[in-house]
Amino acid sequence: MSSDTTVLIVEDDKWLAEQHARVISGAGYKSVVATNAIDAMHIIDKNLPDIMVLDVLLTGSTVFTLLHEMQSYADTGSIPVILCTNLASELSLSDLSSYGVKQIIDKTIMLPEDLVTAIRRQLL
Amino acid sequence: MDVVQGKQGEAFKGLLVNSLPSLVAAAHELKSPLTLVRQLSLMLESDNVSLSDQKRMLRQISLTSERALRLTNDLTRSARLTDAMFTMEPINPQQLCEDIVYELGPLFLANDRNVRLKSYKHPLLLVANRDLLRRIIMSFSDNALHYTGDDCAVEIQIKAFNSGKIIRLGVRDYGPALSSDMWKSLKGKLSKSNMPINARPQSSGLGLYIASQFANAMNGSIGVIRHRDGATFYVDLQASKQLSLL
Repeated sequence: MSSDTTVLIVEDDKWLAEQHARVISGAGYKSVVATNAIDAMHIIDKNLPDIMVLDVLLTGSTVFTLLHEMQSYADTGSIPVILCTNLASELSLSDLSSYGVKQIIDKTIMLPEDLVTAIRRQLL
Repeated sequence: MDVVQGKQGEAFKGLLVNSLPSLVAAAHELKSPLTLVRQLSLMLESDNVSLSDQKRMLRQISLTSERALRLTNDLTRSARLTDAMFTMEPINPQQLCEDIVYELGPLFLANDRNVRLKSYKHPLLLVANRDLLRRIIMSFSDNALHYTGDDCAVEIQIKAFNSGKIIRLGVRDYGPALSSDMWKSLKGKLSKSNMPINARPQSSGLGLYIASQFANAMNGSIGVIRHRDGATFYVDLQASKQLSLL
């Protein structure tokens, strides 16, 4: 458990983002929420998060625009990414690993603690 | 063995094939609220949630369920449009929109947002089915709630066009602008809408599709205006001619 570790949550459903933040903060991590890709980039610009939890279909653009942007810079390109999405069954980790995606969580079947387990696993 | 055979079976299969895009869109659209309700319920089952958080989460569950139920009710109503009789009557749009603002107030408040009606003292009456028109505006408002930015108000507007022959009810949001590609695609699809219309990337477009069906059933049409800082989704309906009969 580390209170110094910052997790950036990008989720356009405000209440689901709040729920993710509740779970992540409960596990001792610092959580920051953005509801769209542009806000996420502003947050990343100010303080690089240690890891990111991203929804795929966002307001304004999909997450792939954000991932593409992040891959354009060395510092942001190395941030581990966990996708947490309703579209998990339609995505392949091997196709997305070049975008820094380390794990894909299916939102429709996940348990709240799965998010923390995934974060811990990636930060090991 | 096939359980539906003969002409009825063929008709059923035809109906199923035609309904498939809507069914897929409905399934997609319902995933998000169900996911949220499930996550919050699972969290409530654990012991480490404060009393204030519990209350907040329970409120979110009920409001999210209501939104999902509104969608399923609209779907059912939409499927029955062809064989249902409904009354067209002169309606005061101001009164109808005031009722909607009152009804949606708690949902907007819970999302730290506001919905308001641009008021008119004497708006022209329009001819519509009250229930269908209410569903259209509720759907547009629900959409606007999701896309409008924090601390921004969603505005319901009533305007008259074509020398007062057409009344437009619009819902203005202050969310991300529609891209040019999406705008072109949306405009094309709105003119010949026979399937879900994607208004924004994460939307299945089901709400807009249903709204267009409801509007068509009332001899009206829906449309969208793109703004630099959001969009206005609107429905155009015939004005009531009862004043001209006086």
